[in-house]
Amino acid sequence: MMDSLHRLRVEYGKDDRLAYLGHLEVIGTVQRSVRRAGLPFSIGNGFARRMRIQFSQALPVGASSACEYYDVYLEDRIDPDEALELLAAATPPGLAPVRAAYVDPHQDALEAWLTRATWDCVLVGQGLAPVAWTRATAAVRAKGSLRYLRGDKEKTVQLASTLVSADFSPSEEGLRLALETRNTPEGSLRPGVLVEAARELLGAEAGIMDTLRVRRVWQSHEETDGSLVEPL
Amino acid sequence: MRAKREDLFPLIEPLLSKVERPSRYLDHEWGACEEQDGPFHVCLVYADVYEVGQPNLGLAILYKCINAVEGMSCERAYLPWTDMISLMRERGVPLLSLECAAPLASFDVVGFTLAHELVATNVLETLDLAGIPLTSAERAEDDPLVVAGGPSVWNCEPLAPVFDAVLLGDGEEGLVDICAAIRDCRDVGMPRQEILLRLAQVPGVYVPSLYDVVVDETTTRWGKAVPREGTGAPAVVRKRCMGDFAGTDPLAQDIVPYLGIVQDRLAVEVLRGCARGCRFCQAGMTYRPVRERPAEQVVTAAEEGLARTGYDEVSLTSLSTTDHSQCAQILHELNAATAGKGVRVSIPSQRLDSFGVEMAGEVAGAKRSGLTFAPEAGTQRLRDVINKNVSEQDLETAATNAFEHGWRRMKLYYMMGLPTETDEDVVAIPASAERVMQLGRRIVGPHKGVAVSISVAVFVPKAHTPFQWCGQLWPEEVERRQRILVGSNHDRAIRVTYHDAGTSLVEGAVSKLGRRGFDLVYRAWELGCLFDAWTSEFRLDLWRQAAADVGLDLADVACEQFELDAVLPWDHTSPGVSKGFLQREWRRAMQGVTTPDCTRDSCQGCGVCPSLGVDNVVWGERS
Repeated sequence: MMDSLHRLRVEYGKDDRLAYLGHLEVIGTVQRSVRRAGLPFSIGNGFARRMRIQFSQALPVGASSACEYYDVYLEDRIDPDEALELLAAATPPGLAPVRAAYVDPHQDALEAWLTRATWDCVLVGQGLAPVAWTRATAAVRAKGSLRYLRGDKEKTVQLASTLVSADFSPSEEGLRLALETRNTPEGSLRPGVLVEAARELLGAEAGIMDTLRVRRVWQSHEETDGSLVEPL
Repeated sequence: MRAKREDLFPLIEPLLSKVERPSRYLDHEWGACEEQDGPFHVCLVYADVYEVGQPNLGLAILYKCINAVEGMSCERAYLPWTDMISLMRERGVPLLSLECAAPLASFDVVGFTLAHELVATNVLETLDLAGIPLTSAERAEDDPLVVAGGPSVWNCEPLAPVFDAVLLGDGEEGLVDICAAIRDCRDVGMPRQEILLRLAQVPGVYVPSLYDVVVDETTTRWGKAVPREGTGAPAVVRKRCMGDFAGTDPLAQDIVPYLGIVQDRLAVEVLRGCARGCRFCQAGMTYRPVRERPAEQVVTAAEEGLARTGYDEVSLTSLSTTDHSQCAQILHELNAATAGKGVRVSIPSQRLDSFGVEMAGEVAGAKRSGLTFAPEAGTQRLRDVINKNVSEQDLETAATNAFEHGWRRMKLYYMMGLPTETDEDVVAIPASAERVMQLGRRIVGPHKGVAVSISVAVFVPKAHTPFQWCGQLWPEEVERRQRILVGSNHDRAIRVTYHDAGTSLVEGAVSKLGRRGFDLVYRAWELGCLFDAWTSEFRLDLWRQAAADVGLDLADVACEQFELDAVLPWDHTSPGVSKGFLQREWRRAMQGVTTPDCTRDSCQGCGVCPSLGVDNVVWGERS
């Protein structure tokens, strides 16, 4: 059955106020957009008869993105440009699709396949010194793992495998953090978690951070040899 | 003074990362009407959080009707959740509309829908957060006109001081007429008091400030509302009614929300009104007559709506959808049209006596998760008293059809505290559920996941029903009968839930009170009562304190029985059903005599058709 389907990958953004949508809300909105676009999507055989669609890893609520992806399985192969046009006309502008192409239907599930992410974060505030924050982040990393609360649940993330690099530089609004992360089957690192851990370590030396603005700017697949493969 | 109309979203945005479910406050949903040029601006408010208010079909209908009028714009507002309210108050941010993030106090008209009695304190909170004076009397010349409508206006006296005008009945034309009258009056610079006099001349509009409350020997202790001399306000305000219901837009919902809302699906209103005549049911009396949409209109609208919104479920809504004379045809055609698209066609609840084999085969397509039936009472005697007109055999037949057609879960709704109820009637509730469970186990198999649950609400007497004279069951007695209910359930697989006696007590008191009820509601709000319909937020202790502070006792109010010939606090409003008919129905109830449905039998003389100049509209044959 799956062999006869066509796996269309769509790249889209998450911008403006729609950055505040939760992952489930994004999923619901995209699925309705696909239906409105009239694409010949495939339906699963389960009890709930859901659309066959996969999404890239959840963004934190409030984070924007230039590079989100979904793979929708189509029963008929239609021109990707035409599909893109139909989707663009049926999607709220904050989640507008920007590129679409067919990919290998046998590739791993999208969420597992996209293993690398680049983040552009801005710590908005005063007295935020790049040197201090770089030192604190290195100290956090040196601990090997990081425990944090997500809601009521305690989580642990291994920094050795998930934190690739973190570079701080001054910005007009405070401090800019260019962050590279890796998703592993055991977990992934959210920018806010790392920043919070560094802030705690710094204490009064951290300065005053009013807001943390997070944007995912790039996602890719990392091969075993370390080379990076673009999603499209 | 009227606030300036401006986009204040930048004041809300910094708060979004600090609150639960920020998507409640975003707007920009698919289908929202973003062009709001006015120049006449209306904001419709559902005084609860977005996910509760957004699915309200009445507001969706009115939003579309007003936005369709040249020169009028309509936006939406909901009451933020408590976390956002605190932040807004802390930072001095007023309540804003969704579409333009404009202050509510900048609108020409602010319209509330009153969905139930427990929304009262939320209405006050909404106005206060918006910076609009709480009562009509306090509002300045230029303040917005605050109006209300909806299913719970039939005793709006406890909130009467709040509203400049109240619309009774269907709003499609009525609300547009109200807005047009206000616009025309404002255009010529008419003073506010004269605008109110003008509104009282619009059919279906009740202007509370033009009525005095008079208590005399003909009334209850809550008195009656009498129009002030010289105002020209009618002694009795009759509801508006859309006789040509099929001529209205069947597809009211355009907005597709981002977050999961309580009814997250496309809704097509297939018929309005119900003539079954259940004697406890306010909607059954106040939405008459029965007006069906023809099958082809429903099917076309549902197909078009699914394509336009992208929903994967369509609900055929009404007070009693399976009563539609073409229901099976609609279901059959819709199922055929949506086959293979992963679309579910659903019906909110099914009547026991119309859930036949054909219906069982068509409802919900392949995904048969659960079914809901409402026998309402455990014994035939009591079902006759309430005129439910279903039998134990109907329940068994419906359950058999459901289990044989793939359903595994069944929910049964009952009420407790109905007039003449005895302990035997209470004990019969779980017994009835046990028979359904046994049927399920026999048909489906003993360990195949058959689940039966019963939910028992406390009966609250409502205005304009044959039971409007009844007193509510005393809270201690409610609790005793609830213990009997739980104790007589012998099958642990049957889940029994019942409504909180305290919430029902407040609902009962607010349903019964006249205009003096405003003191209670206001005091409760002052003490911090908010989101009273939310179990997590409801505070009976504060309501009791509020009642004591204004010299009332909740149980004393809710449980009082009125004399059959007394003038009631809501007698100046009329849904068209005559008081004589309601009195006759009350007497028949006490005799256990049932009254047939006039869409299946002859006219029963309720008075709606002649008084409103309308008729039942039924496209096929009702079986």
